[in-house]
Amino acid sequence: MCQSSRPLTSAPSVIGQSAPRADALTKVTGEERYATDYYPENHLWAGIKRAAYPHARITSIDISQAKGMVGVVAVLTSKDVQGSNRLGIFEKDQPILADGIVRHYGEAVALVTAETKEILKQALAAIVVEYEPLAAVFDPQAAMSKESVILHPGRADGNVLLSDEISCGRGVEALADCEFTAEVSIEVNWQDHAFLETEAGVAWLEADGTIAMIASTQTPFRDRLELAEALKIPPTKFRVMAPYLGGAFGGKDGITVQGFLALAALHAGGRAVKMWYEREEHFLAGTKRHPAIMKYKLGCDQQGMLQALDCSILMDTGAYSAMGGEVLELAMEHAGGPYCIPNTRIKGAVVYTNNPIASAFRGFGVPQVAAGIEQAVDELAKTAGFDLLQFRLKNAVRRGSVTPTGVLLTQTVGLSECLKKVADHRLWRERELWQNSAPAFKRRGVGLAACYHAVGFGPVIPDYANAKLELAADGHIRVFAGVSDMGQGNAATYMQIVGHILFQGYDNMEIVLPDTACTLPSCSSSASRTTFTYGNAITGAADILKERILARALLLFSFQLLEQLNVQDLVLLPGRIVHQPSGREVPLQLIAGFMDESERIATYSYTCPVNKQVLPTGKKLRHHGYPHRVFSYAVQLVRLQVDTLTGEIEVCDLLNCIEAGSVLNPQVFEQQIQGGAAQGIGYALFEDFALKEGKIRTNDFSTYILPTAMDIPNMETVVVPLAEDDGPYGMKGAGEISIDGILSAIANGVAAIIGTRITQGTLTGEKILLALRQAGKEAVR
Amino acid sequence: MRVKFMLNGKQTIVDAPADRRVVDLLREDFGLIGVKECCGAGECGACTILVNGTSRLSCLMLAAQLEGVEVTTIEGVAPEGSFAIVQQAFIDCGAVQCGFCTPGMVLAVLDLLQRNPQPSSEEIREGLSGNLCRCTGYQKIVEAVQVAAALLKGRRA
Amino acid sequence: MEVLFPRTLEELKELFVTYPDGRIIAGGTDLLVQLRKHGNKPSALFSVEHLEQLQHVEEKETEIFIGAGVTHQQLWELPIIKNYFPVLHDAVAVLGSPPIRHSGTLGGNLCTASPAGDTLPPLYVLGAKIAISGKTGKRCVPIAEFIQGPGCTMLEQGEFVTGIQIPLPAPQAFSAYYKVGKRKALAIAIASLAVMLEVNPDETVKNIKLAWGSVGPTVMVLPEVEAFLKGKVLSDEILSQAGKMASLGVKPIDDIRASAEYRQCLTANLLLRICRD
Repeated sequence: MCQSSRPLTSAPSVIGQSAPRADALTKVTGEERYATDYYPENHLWAGIKRAAYPHARITSIDISQAKGMVGVVAVLTSKDVQGSNRLGIFEKDQPILADGIVRHYGEAVALVTAETKEILKQALAAIVVEYEPLAAVFDPQAAMSKESVILHPGRADGNVLLSDEISCGRGVEALADCEFTAEVSIEVNWQDHAFLETEAGVAWLEADGTIAMIASTQTPFRDRLELAEALKIPPTKFRVMAPYLGGAFGGKDGITVQGFLALAALHAGGRAVKMWYEREEHFLAGTKRHPAIMKYKLGCDQQGMLQALDCSILMDTGAYSAMGGEVLELAMEHAGGPYCIPNTRIKGAVVYTNNPIASAFRGFGVPQVAAGIEQAVDELAKTAGFDLLQFRLKNAVRRGSVTPTGVLLTQTVGLSECLKKVADHRLWRERELWQNSAPAFKRRGVGLAACYHAVGFGPVIPDYANAKLELAADGHIRVFAGVSDMGQGNAATYMQIVGHILFQGYDNMEIVLPDTACTLPSCSSSASRTTFTYGNAITGAADILKERILARALLLFSFQLLEQLNVQDLVLLPGRIVHQPSGREVPLQLIAGFMDESERIATYSYTCPVNKQVLPTGKKLRHHGYPHRVFSYAVQLVRLQVDTLTGEIEVCDLLNCIEAGSVLNPQVFEQQIQGGAAQGIGYALFEDFALKEGKIRTNDFSTYILPTAMDIPNMETVVVPLAEDDGPYGMKGAGEISIDGILSAIANGVAAIIGTRITQGTLTGEKILLALRQAGKEAVR
Repeated sequence: MRVKFMLNGKQTIVDAPADRRVVDLLREDFGLIGVKECCGAGECGACTILVNGTSRLSCLMLAAQLEGVEVTTIEGVAPEGSFAIVQQAFIDCGAVQCGFCTPGMVLAVLDLLQRNPQPSSEEIREGLSGNLCRCTGYQKIVEAVQVAAALLKGRRA
Repeated sequence: MEVLFPRTLEELKELFVTYPDGRIIAGGTDLLVQLRKHGNKPSALFSVEHLEQLQHVEEKETEIFIGAGVTHQQLWELPIIKNYFPVLHDAVAVLGSPPIRHSGTLGGNLCTASPAGDTLPPLYVLGAKIAISGKTGKRCVPIAEFIQGPGCTMLEQGEFVTGIQIPLPAPQAFSAYYKVGKRKALAIAIASLAVMLEVNPDETVKNIKLAWGSVGPTVMVLPEVEAFLKGKVLSDEILSQAGKMASLGVKPIDDIRASAEYRQCLTANLLLRICRD
């Protein structure tokens, strides 16, 4: 078989240059160990008995038969949980194992450990749970009514997890003065993360009683705090390790299997335990993207300047809060789009229902509201007779603008530049040609959307990272990543930054992935802040280490040359240091030998600056992130083709024009943009998530449809690289912005083709054909 | 039952239940963790292996079916410390993100290029349509296959 | 489960005597998925992959015989399929995904008897006959008799399919298969249509065979629609009228993939797609 030798390059990595990711080397050979790939010696298999009702009181759990089975080690219920048995970030409302009530179909009721997967399956089947079914609520609007059954009694607002209102200027009154107005009502569907590596991990008790675990998690440090309270064990008695994740996209932001693993390890007689969800269990137990019901009314004056917005957003967070409050905040903060609208009222609520749990998912509320505002903008521009792109440009926020939620944009804003690039692009200029070139029984059109996306956690929750870097005794540079790499390539980017500062190649560096025992506490891999925040921290650590290395090298050179030397005369090169005037060199390894361990390790703590603005409304949203300071921007364009006979729709071309600050590694940047956009296509057209009374009907990969290589077009990515002061090397977060506008762009394109809007859920061929039929365009040549 | 087959070029004999899934056998008994499992039902391609050079799904094969065949997993496509051209192209083109689909994808590419050494981009997408990827949007994977095909053509010339 | 590998048809017959609940595994792409989902494991599986009598494709003067164990990929690669049976070639090209086609067999697709099975509508319009063997001997039955319902065939305990016999179509016949799924690959049909068409020199229909997949409990054949089209020129108007008839004749259901209503629309519109596009 044709082959090449290993390309571990010694060329130093440079910021701004495309470089292959270091992790690709071990992933492409299959060597890389994910959480699923650990099989500790003599381990047990752990699994979960899950609820057969969406809302019910557990009247009895009979574990006797399961417990008596040969090969079964432990059968545990909530009675075996010593702590609060409650997980959650803001609202600690979710039990590890149900204690009394189950609130969604598939909720965890009992935990079993067994010698083999087969015995585990039999034991789970042998557990008999009796329930008294309770009234259940599946419709978020019904959940808000006074008559509704309450999921979490004792809360002040019934089933409302969080609600608030943001109001700016004259609010809704200003709509009356508008020359033109447009209204849209949009309902967007759930979406499953469908990462390829389902939830998994292994755990064991260490000699000192520490519960150690290797888990597929975006949040190794925060997990300890959640587990500590729920299990009444000090957080320092947990050690969480996060290898590379096989995808996550928000779905591993928080506890998935970690609570079960810890509990199982405590009852495993010193043996290791392993858990790995099957795909169907992933669908049952995993979190989803929040569905939303949105009503928009938008108005502009005769010149086409946006004047007023009235909108409401209702989100369904399912049985437990998870990140429901934070998703609502981000949705509301972005609800008016990246436009100047002086008078606004934005109402939002997120409610509990007996549906699956919704939480973080790439985009975090923004793809939902973008589908609202961008369709409203299209409708208004059409009503008022403006060009869809020029209308957006006219109203686009700029640096120094105030957003529809009153946020003063103090940092870089590249939206106008993005819009102008798209305006000049062939795909936009030739849109009429495209429209008129459809073959028989096909219709063609173009759709557009503009978006922005906040970076980080907002003003209250500290967005911090603690970086650690070591000059190892052998002269290697060891980069400690405190933040998980769920596939986005941040670990490789940390190496790139360090390599850039210390002038080292990948061959002289190694990465240490998150391990609470040796990497330093840092926030999660999330919120478009992973490289932004940790990148700043690792830059600081690299600067410190460089200074120390050069200072120690200076001593050595001074001894050799017997003269007073200047640190400016020294240069770090791959594996060595050169004294330029004399041409003398010393290897890094020698310098390392002259340093104490305490000197060889540099750490740096970084916390992101926040928006200090005090806003008059939306007070309850402040804790959840309102307002943000830094935003990335995008304009996305799709060329579509619809089949008038079948309703089948094809995204033929896709343009992503992105302003997310400077680009550190163009290849990794493009990966994020293309991948996010592809998930957006899935969200818009394919992933038609279906529930029936809280039970997921699309619970495997034959019914939950992910796009294949044949369903995603080639995409073009155009970058507007404005340097952002807050970001390392001028970058901003780019992980989420590319998913935000795809649904809205496609929906706008479909509406342009059919002439009417499909306002509910996934834009399937079936809905498109029905809409074509109603518009009298079915089977039209 | 005793099953005798070639595994990554080595004659192998294993004692396993006849109905043991090949994906379990390879991962758990042989430690070949590059064989990924993702759906267990033939819908994703993560567990792809080559059986007599043809891509097959190891979640839909039973141990007994291995008798007398040649199996190649991702671990067997290149000697340790080196890469197959296709793997190199995946690295260079940025076709790897989370990497969970990558082993199966690489093997699917090997099958594809052996059938069709110079595939068009349409043919590449068709040839990889049994392997889901949730990270990349496929574009860089398609580019990697084009690069690999060009390199391999150069080698043959 | 034991997994056994009969080398001859006789051995296979005997296995059914030894293990009355035994089941044949061909590619395993349906069977193993079903067993994983529903449990109910038989005591033995009889793998036919080494049963050479099932791997043959015999080209005869007036017909072709395809062994039940021939894979979709093998069929797709055969020049005779591409040249003489485009409708079957179209179908195996869009069946599942490449690795599924490398394992799955024509006999397997047939015996799964799913109304969404991609090779079934082509076999209906081609007038295929199914060769069955068992303890009571051999028989050969038209496919429409063989398939009795969703997941249900006329095979009795101990019987199995040895192959599919298809008459060679008339040299000028046009045939094609079109499927609507939820995506372009790895898709289960929401509705599909196979057509076999012969036209007269004046462009009127000399002969037409139509078979719809996924719009009824089994593949749907509508003789009244075929009769209506015979002798007519296939204009958009005529095909729309035929489509209306067809949409009333099929018996679709609502399921996770689509509504019955959508399937009815497709039943009609696929006629335009396949005959006019």
